[in-house]
Amino acid sequence: MSKEAQLSIAERDFILEALRENVRLDGRQPDDYRPLNISFGEEYGHVNLQLGKTNIIVRISAEVTKPREDRPFDGLFNINLELTAMGSPAWESGRTNDIEAYATNTLDRIIRHSNALDTESLCILKGVSCWSIRADVHVIDYDGNITDAACIAIMAGLQHFRRPDAVVRDGRVIVYGVEQRVPVALNITHKPLSVTFHTFNDSKHVIVDATLKEEQAAEGDLVIGINSAGDVCYLSKYAGAPADAMVIVKKTNVAWEKVKEINAAVEKVLQADLAKRAKIGMADESRAENDRLVQIE
Amino acid sequence: MVGPIASLSQLNRADGSASYKCPATGYSILGAVNAPIELPARRDALKPEEATVEVFVKPGTTTAGVGERYVEGILRSVLGKIVLGREKGFPRRGVVLTLAIVGGENVERGDSYLTILPALLHAGLLAMVSASVPLSMTFSATLLGVTKSGDIVRDPSPTAAKAAVSLHVFAVSSKNHLLLNESEGRFDFDTWELVRERALSICQGETAASADGDVSMGEGTASASLSGFIRETVEDQVYSDYAYNLDSI
Repeated sequence: MSKEAQLSIAERDFILEALRENVRLDGRQPDDYRPLNISFGEEYGHVNLQLGKTNIIVRISAEVTKPREDRPFDGLFNINLELTAMGSPAWESGRTNDIEAYATNTLDRIIRHSNALDTESLCILKGVSCWSIRADVHVIDYDGNITDAACIAIMAGLQHFRRPDAVVRDGRVIVYGVEQRVPVALNITHKPLSVTFHTFNDSKHVIVDATLKEEQAAEGDLVIGINSAGDVCYLSKYAGAPADAMVIVKKTNVAWEKVKEINAAVEKVLQADLAKRAKIGMADESRAENDRLVQIE
Repeated sequence: MVGPIASLSQLNRADGSASYKCPATGYSILGAVNAPIELPARRDALKPEEATVEVFVKPGTTTAGVGERYVEGILRSVLGKIVLGREKGFPRRGVVLTLAIVGGENVERGDSYLTILPALLHAGLLAMVSASVPLSMTFSATLLGVTKSGDIVRDPSPTAAKAAVSLHVFAVSSKNHLLLNESEGRFDFDTWELVRERALSICQGETAASADGDVSMGEGTASASLSGFIRETVEDQVYSDYAYNLDSI
């Protein structure tokens, strides 16, 4: 089993010593994120996110399935994160590792369990059919902090995604193609994001959005899931050295500021993309020279 | 017809990477190669004198299933043949290729995987080149569909591929040898021969290599062929990589 190359003692000491003087390797302040770059693909719900050198692609997809027996009114929503050798040579394709299990759990808790996507709105016909929404996370370059990056990308994807319109007529479910009816946006109840902190030097120095090297030098981490309104929906002190209670209180406020900032940035990119799409509109689809679609009613 | 778009080495962590987009079929593939890499003991016993080529295909919006395993097998056999696994530093090591389908429609379970095979082959080859894996030759691949009326269509879209009577994927080496032939559907030998000739002209263009294997390097028709496209993509990358060197000459 291959492992991520360990930090040398000199590198570790350098990072810790620099933090004592309030300097980070890349010159950021302790509460600064790396430059965040979000772009959308051709399809709805295709997000390409770059957070420094961490690069993630998220694709959202929808299909009609049968709801679960015990929850006939609810649709399904799943987050799927599989780490492959593409992101880092230390990861083996097709085998789970600790980071994958941890990140999947955190994302599930923050996005799914806080009900960010209203699953009841995905119901088409009670107990018979519902939408199953699936978010696939592809980590294509790994330089630390995949939970925050994946969280931002999934939330952006869910807001960008449009599912086909479906109606019930005489007890039969009709799903309209994208060419036939304007696809519908998903019902997002709130926008929670995760903010990961790492602690150093007996929790005297706490930094946000650590790079891989900083993660390796850290003594502990702290993940806070919080939405723009300031509701904390997840808080985890998973492993490592204990952190001071005051640190958690203080950092929750920092996390809130960060989430408001990031959500605003996402909103800006999203609106720009939707405006661009509205301008092009259905020009390609509504050309006279296209093949006629046979209407099945 | 809009040609494919490709670029090399855009990922930081992987040893080599390439992205490949085929506008005709809509597929967009991202490939990454890690080589030579240490293999766990359980997998290197088969051929201790050679490198082991591993291929992993990751679909965009589903989990990998039977279709991916099948296409991984094809890719492994083609790439395993052209990787020079006995070069210094490669025996008993792994050449791990990861291909992620990042754009385009999903291949539904039970649908033909041949439609995406040429894009996967090209992305895989370019990623290998980007990772500087020693190769005995390069190749180019194409997908051809035969319609009900007997027309041969190049790179049919997923819907057109479903309607086609037979689908054929050919990979032709840089020396004009047939490397791979995968066919599906009903066809007779005459049709196959026609399709093969068409594939050969698409992959190699009109400027076929001369008898001694030399390829003319002049500008012009070379870009029309797929092998010319692969060559140009790599040339562009080399040109930008060595830009610092060019000025000083």
